[in-house]
Amino acid sequence: MVGLSAGEKHFIYGGIAQDLRTDGRQRLHYRPISVEIGVIPQANGSSRVRLGATDVIVSIKAELGRPSSLHPDKGKVAIFIDCSPTAAPMFEGRGGEELSSELSLALQRCLLGGRSGAGAGIDLSSLVIVEGKVCWDLYIDGLVVSSDGNLLDALAAAIKVALCNTGIPKTTVNLGASPNDQPDVDVSDEEFLQFDTSGVPVIVTLTKVGRHYIVDATSEEESQMSSAVSISVNRHGQICGLTKRGGAGLDPSVILDMISVAKHVGEQLMSSLDSEIAAAEASAEDQ
Amino acid sequence: MTTMQRELRLSLNQTQRVRLQSALQQLEEMTSLASAITVVADTIPVNHEDSILKGHGTSDLNGEVVATLCGVVERVNKLVYVRAQRARYKPEVGDIIVGRVIEVAPKRWRLEINFSQDAVLMLSSMNLPDGLQRRRTAVDELNMRSIFVENDVICAEVRGFQHDGSLHLQARSQKYGKLERGMLLTVPAYLVKRRKQHFHHLENYGVDLILGSNGFIWVGEHVDMNGENHILADQVSREDMADKSCVGQVTQEVHERITPLEIRTHICRVANSVRVLSALGFNLTVEVIVDTVEASISLNTDIKDILAAEFYVQTAEREVQRRVSLSRKKG
Repeated sequence: MVGLSAGEKHFIYGGIAQDLRTDGRQRLHYRPISVEIGVIPQANGSSRVRLGATDVIVSIKAELGRPSSLHPDKGKVAIFIDCSPTAAPMFEGRGGEELSSELSLALQRCLLGGRSGAGAGIDLSSLVIVEGKVCWDLYIDGLVVSSDGNLLDALAAAIKVALCNTGIPKTTVNLGASPNDQPDVDVSDEEFLQFDTSGVPVIVTLTKVGRHYIVDATSEEESQMSSAVSISVNRHGQICGLTKRGGAGLDPSVILDMISVAKHVGEQLMSSLDSEIAAAEASAEDQ
Repeated sequence: MTTMQRELRLSLNQTQRVRLQSALQQLEEMTSLASAITVVADTIPVNHEDSILKGHGTSDLNGEVVATLCGVVERVNKLVYVRAQRARYKPEVGDIIVGRVIEVAPKRWRLEINFSQDAVLMLSSMNLPDGLQRRRTAVDELNMRSIFVENDVICAEVRGFQHDGSLHLQARSQKYGKLERGMLLTVPAYLVKRRKQHFHHLENYGVDLILGSNGFIWVGEHVDMNGENHILADQVSREDMADKSCVGQVTQEVHERITPLEIRTHICRVANSVRVLSALGFNLTVEVIVDTVEASISLNTDIKDILAAEFYVQTAEREVQRRVSLSRKKG
């Protein structure tokens, strides 16, 4: 954990109050974001996103599976996050487990919608191959390589980028003679279908420090937070999920205010992410 | 080049990439050390002299001296050793360092200073806030936390190694001590060269800059080194603490002592300049830092844009020009 002296804490507080943070940003500015795609060749899609000194890798693996009997018309998506001990000594052994599960849960809430899969950011019905019989299972695995605050936003951005990079193999289905037979599925290793990522939201975390809230807090700023609200916003400016961390209470009016700010910041983040994805795709084609 | 770019974590456009590449190329050509630089497994030519002493970072392989580290070959009489690049900080007596208190122990504070072990600052090797020279009593020992507590950033001087190998510090002057109202930056220690002066007061900006030899750099609001003021400030801050415990007026006082916005902009500008220079791997001297700060002001660069791609490229190009003009003066 970051240890800060009283003087440094005071300096950070003062900077946030004066709208000039320690690295020269204003309260609602993100750090420069950099994006790489296709970093893991074995995966169906992968990405690496850096937000200042925060560094995360996400890989997406698609496997054939059986849809659950409750929702035969939907595929399955699982999100797992792991915190590497290289990011901080405290993640060594089982130390990172608590944070890992907290991040996984928050991402599941923000991206996967309700238990029935309704309202998910990822279109689950597009993962079905034969209704009730065969579907794609997506395994989204995230790894925190280096941690300097705001992991949730970075991970959500990395998942969005990785989904843009994901190719789902094309399948041809031979239905068996009787309807109860498991159908034969032929997976093509040449033709891939692009995934529709227009509905995937980004997450904007607003961290409350003192009387004000900031976006994209560094770990030093996070150590001073009273509470943080993570809001996931999609392309249409709609709120897809909302989680709150930290024990301190918030006035409901502040939350409403935060939501409208997050909506605005989310649009900017989305557009900068889009341009970074385009640049990353262009440089990947160059190589 | 690609590794450089990866390290910088920048997204450069085509022209910026070309410009940065050419600037770095020129810098590389200018360094005369090229012959003495080794990577792991390079043979170090020793002219087959008989009595050569193989020092740190070298090994014997089939009768040849081979480097086991990446760095610069140094020769002192018969001793041949490799001075590693990117090594941890190695203290020398008299170094001025910035460190963070990690433990308050009996009669001593333990400090993290980016060395392979923690440094020790004895209560007896620092001036007491009352400024008197006297024996330290048990009461002083009990009041140690009123001087420094855990996580405080302090500045001190390397006093020497003890017999048991532990590193001792001293802070026997008003200029050493607790650093407040500012921020601590961490850079690779080899970027800070030992010089006569490590404390800098940038008068135009009202900023104190302390370049610790251990790679910890303090950028903060200027504190008057006038002895009496210092003690006064100390007392005030202690009274402050007392006030805080009995509630009331806290916010008001906090507001009174807040860093003025103007000085804060300067602090942030200096800090970001240090970040750029260290990311590019340029030596950190006060002249270069002030140059970078002035350039960022004259170019109307926003403080946060000092860390953006364009200013990186400009900084690299400025460094090329600086070294060219330096070598012209010499030649």
